[in-house]
Amino acid sequence: MSQSEMSRAKRHLETTARMKEMLPRFFMRMMERRFSNEPLAWCMVGVPPELLKAFDLLFEWPENFGTMCASRLVAPRFIEVAEGDGYSPELCSYVTNTMGYCKLFKEKGEAPEESPLPGGMGTPAMLLGSGFICEPRWKWFQSVATRFFDVPVYSTDPLAPPWDVDPTDPRIAEHYLTLLREDLAGQIEFLEKQTGKKLDIDALREIMALSHQALAYWRDTLALRRAIPSPMGSTDYFHAIIPQMYLVGDQEAVDFYREMYEEVKNRVERGVGVVEEEKYRLIWFGLPPWFNMGIFNYLESHGAVFAYESTYNVGDYFEVDLSDPLEALVRRTWQRALKMHEFGAEAMPELCNPAVFGGFVGSNLLEELTRDFSLTGAMMHLTRSCRAVSFGEVHTRNRFAQIGLPSLIFESDMADPRLWSDAQIKTRLHAFLETMDKVQKGVNK
Amino acid sequence: MPAGKKVNTKQPRATNLNEEEIRRIKTDTGKPVIGYLCCFAPPEIISAAGAIPYRITGLPGEDNSAADAYTEPYGCTYVRNILARATRGEFDFIDGLVISHSCDMVQRLYGIWTYYHPLPYSYLFNVPHQVSPWAQRFYKRELGFFKESLEQFTGRVVSPEALVEEIGISNQSRTLVRKLYEQRKKLLPGISGSEMLNLLMAGGTLPAKAFQAKLKEALLKAEAAHGQESAKPRILIWGSIMDDNALFRMVEEAGAVVVADDTCIGFRVWEKDVPQTVDPYDGLTEHYFVNFQCPRTDRGPGSKRFDYLVERAHEYKADGIIGYVISFCDPHKLDYPDLRDYLKAEGLPMLLIDDNYSFEPAGAIETRLQAFVEMIG
Ligand code: SF4
Ligand code: SF4
Repeated sequence: MSQSEMSRAKRHLETTARMKEMLPRFFMRMMERRFSNEPLAWCMVGVPPELLKAFDLLFEWPENFGTMCASRLVAPRFIEVAEGDGYSPELCSYVTNTMGYCKLFKEKGEAPEESPLPGGMGTPAMLLGSGFICEPRWKWFQSVATRFFDVPVYSTDPLAPPWDVDPTDPRIAEHYLTLLREDLAGQIEFLEKQTGKKLDIDALREIMALSHQALAYWRDTLALRRAIPSPMGSTDYFHAIIPQMYLVGDQEAVDFYREMYEEVKNRVERGVGVVEEEKYRLIWFGLPPWFNMGIFNYLESHGAVFAYESTYNVGDYFEVDLSDPLEALVRRTWQRALKMHEFGAEAMPELCNPAVFGGFVGSNLLEELTRDFSLTGAMMHLTRSCRAVSFGEVHTRNRFAQIGLPSLIFESDMADPRLWSDAQIKTRLHAFLETMDKVQKGVNK
Repeated sequence: MPAGKKVNTKQPRATNLNEEEIRRIKTDTGKPVIGYLCCFAPPEIISAAGAIPYRITGLPGEDNSAADAYTEPYGCTYVRNILARATRGEFDFIDGLVISHSCDMVQRLYGIWTYYHPLPYSYLFNVPHQVSPWAQRFYKRELGFFKESLEQFTGRVVSPEALVEEIGISNQSRTLVRKLYEQRKKLLPGISGSEMLNLLMAGGTLPAKAFQAKLKEALLKAEAAHGQESAKPRILIWGSIMDDNALFRMVEEAGAVVVADDTCIGFRVWEKDVPQTVDPYDGLTEHYFVNFQCPRTDRGPGSKRFDYLVERAHEYKADGIIGYVISFCDPHKLDYPDLRDYLKAEGLPMLLIDDNYSFEPAGAIETRLQAFVEMIG
């Protein structure tokens, strides 16, 4: 497979460019702690980092590691090792990336040299999983602990009500809230046992206060993208989620998101956009192709910018009362479930981030976004190996068709570049730009 | 059989027969039919509410393109098959739909189906993914909500007595099924795997009395069978949904016998009785949630989670295991490497058939089956 001309990506904001210095500093600090044999947890999106910070626990994200392996183009190597071990090419490429990595790690007794981080992911002392969004998550850490690292696992199970029951009915709310509370208690009991520490509630409260400050800046930054021209691009957006995983709850994250907010606001005030002549304003659905993030820059070179991305969008973050931080964690999760309901998301009753909205139905969310962000089209990345996030795209396309907004579904993957062909993708992108042209001309006639 | 020949066109298929049957039963009884997918929502509650539970099955190998208007091409081909059938109106005999949150695909099928083809009654039965005490409490509460929703639909209260009676009746069927499985432990099993699966398919459809009559008849026949032939290699089949016996027939044609299984619709549903507890909902929780073996439920890390399967293989003196996984079936495909390694360590060879719910190309599958049967024979 020859390298794609889209494998390099350019960011537009100074704040996100500065991550190039900030993140290595952070990873070095983490490495030092790892080398002093502090226990390390591998965890999944859906595990609140604030809780882990309150235990002063070191943690890594195999999902995020998967994105890094993908963008450094080493994921195919790990995925092929996993396939040789019997994992189907259809399976989530973050999972197979982890499985291949673990196999090589165990064989060599250390991180394989092609690993993106210095020292790769370290040896876990525990695995903290989550059933948030998809099924493969349940099997992923189960298998890591079965095949490679015989360490304890705790997975949370944030179930949410399906679209056609009323979550404001107090009996239904209690049904789900009870599960969330009891599950959190189980998670804390596990963490106390594994770390030998008691949870410091006051520390958790402070960490959550900081994390909410950071997330509020992030929310406000995303709202600024309603401006025409759009002040911030998708390459900035997708990179700027990393501090949410590792640093949220630290002052450093608050500073980062505040600076980002100020920079974007300043661009809006000065009318500085991602591109000089903004011809198309898009919404992005699905996981990005981490190995070819230059696709966003390629589109920008043709006057197309994204004003909104559905995935990882915690823009609708929730004000919760922090006086009881445990209840706040539960309520935050529940608020997300309620928001999903308001949006009418029927197809994904698991607790999703409100904007992983693969399957939205009778709501007016799509109309609202189209209006508020002045959208001219929607692009959906159908990731073959992650059905969880791409499920519902056909349905969403049907809904957009009712609104009269053109959309494009294109197939590839988040970490596995084998389905990608520059020539084919470009042909589809140009056909889509032409469709938007025609629709816009039709509207303006 | 020559390569390219469609193995599953041998008619009539159990699904077709059962659907004819249910239409007749519906006309005779005038009761509403509630279609269900996956095994977490107990059919006994549906019966106790005065409706007929009907296990929805698909037609492997049939055209799934009708699903393309609503959903992506990448998804469990069984689920896509069901959606395509629903779209074509082939389930016009069902008045209601219960889908349990088993795997991602089934759960998401619920939303798409009920949005585009709404039914007079529909319920998504939510199921936690692990069997912790709090997950069990959630499941039991969910049973209560499910019961209430059915009562509203049928207008009939589900009394504890009626429920206990339904559980008793279904346990009688389980006893008979287990007796038949006992017969399969014999050197020459008195019933073939393909016959057994067809019987169990009817178990999701027929009223208990009719089902039990069929089971008794098969049992008499099995008990009377005397082994004349020499013993054949014995196979246990593990994997994704099995709602057509084509693979079983192919294994039989390759010269082996299917003596046991661990699949949905197969033994998973019938293996144990629903415990008779003071509160019937406790027994249902234990049976349909705690004890129900499906890889979508997390039973913690380690190979111990497969012990039940190894025990079953030994009990039925299986010489080998055939795994059957459907395209995009995450729970089974993700379990495969762990299971394969554990079986190997236990001295049990395994062959994996990765299929897109069509049993095609039949010739290629047959060649692999024959090679495997020869190897273990
Ligand atoms: S949501 Fe998708 S990418 Fe994430 S773990 Fe699940 S299958 Fe993989
Ligand atoms: S075959 Fe697999 S993916 Fe399909 S419904 Fe069954 S468990 Fe789910």
